[in-house]
Amino acid sequence: MKLQYYPGCTLYTKAKPLNTSLHACFNAVGIELAELPHWYCCGTTFTLARDNRMSLIAPLRILAKAQQEDGKVLVPCSICYNTLKRANYMLNEDRETLDILNEHLEESYDGNEIVLHPLEFFRDNEELVRSKVKKSLKDLKVGCYYGCLLLRPQQEIQFDDPEAPTIFENFISSVGATPIDFPLKVECCGSYLVVTSPDAALESSYKLLRNAQGNGVNAVVTSCPLCYYNLDALQEKMTKAHPDFKQIPVFYFSQILALALGAEEKNLGLEQNKVSPYTILKEYDLL
Amino acid sequence: MNKILADKDLTRRIEEISDQKLSDCYQCGRCTAGCPFAEFMDVPPNQVIRFMQLGLKEDLLKTQGPWFCAACLVCQARCPRGVDIPRLMEAVRTIHLRAKEGLIDVPEIDKEFLLDAPPLALISAFSKFTY
Ligand code: SF4
Ligand code: SF4
Repeated sequence: MKLQYYPGCTLYTKAKPLNTSLHACFNAVGIELAELPHWYCCGTTFTLARDNRMSLIAPLRILAKAQQEDGKVLVPCSICYNTLKRANYMLNEDRETLDILNEHLEESYDGNEIVLHPLEFFRDNEELVRSKVKKSLKDLKVGCYYGCLLLRPQQEIQFDDPEAPTIFENFISSVGATPIDFPLKVECCGSYLVVTSPDAALESSYKLLRNAQGNGVNAVVTSCPLCYYNLDALQEKMTKAHPDFKQIPVFYFSQILALALGAEEKNLGLEQNKVSPYTILKEYDLL
Repeated sequence: MNKILADKDLTRRIEEISDQKLSDCYQCGRCTAGCPFAEFMDVPPNQVIRFMQLGLKEDLLKTQGPWFCAACLVCQARCPRGVDIPRLMEAVRTIHLRAKEGLIDVPEIDKEFLLDAPPLALISAFSKFTY
């Protein structure tokens, strides 16, 4: 079986571990990820100005291209996923804009491409994943961090309950680890404010991690390379700003799954995690 | 005195860009209560909306609040009146940016950070803070 795949820019650069570990996961369950030929950037954050049609061009071209290959496309990066899904929703609601863009771009997109997140795929194929688990991660107390983009706006994304989602926790249980709930799992890490107002991003990410730790989490997982950066790379600065802060490892969901599926260590990309994951993984005998 | 002369034109532009109706907001403050970045804003989200409702152009264009909005949509999910607040915040930024104000200053970004940051952080910031 093949699944059409849109990695997005960051998975080829700073988020390589998400790309390689995800490939390892799908490989282990016998599915080939067929990368969309000649893809480009989705433009990231969906535009909120209703009179800005320019920002819809990149998503529309990606969706149109994907549709030529297959009716479904797998998108692991939360930002790409949110942007493509919101654009898709909008183009369906606003057929006039869709027609105008199609005409200018010489595309013939009809609005029907399905944008799928790997967590949705694993939810729908839970048995397949469960049957391939080789290593029990049961002592790992995982805090599932959803952030914003997988959940909101609910009407357009339809991923899970925006205030009390469970898809991530179910995923973590199905790979044999222990999900731990923490209230700030649906709150913002600071997103792109890390570029323009780094203090705001630092403080919000810090609060999230403290909240997770306070609830007993010893590893945080995410699917967003930007959340990942804010939660992982900023920890050094958090320690400076808050000397009592104890660093905590952050993983991509696919790194955790790949571990459980017994993937080769070289595909996990763990050496790129800024906060070392090795101590905890060795402590629980997972490496 | 000036302040009382409401700027209807500005109100209309905000409504157009955001596709929101400002009269929908009944100023309960729930958006501000849940906003993770309200503490960084000189004027919090519900008050920014109040400026819009009253057409207080000077106050609205002076506030730094909208620049701290991360478009996290927590407020949008919780507003009892269905107001899409981040669209209103974007409308304010859009008005500034289209007048070439508030553009991101790339040379000001820390070099080490530029090399370290993931592309989507930079592209997101560039797309939010340019026009
Ligand atoms: S939550 Fe909604 S109604 Fe209440 S102040 Fe904010 S925008 Fe207005
Ligand atoms: S979308 Fe903006 S205003 Fe609303 S809660 Fe998030 S940061 Fe605050």
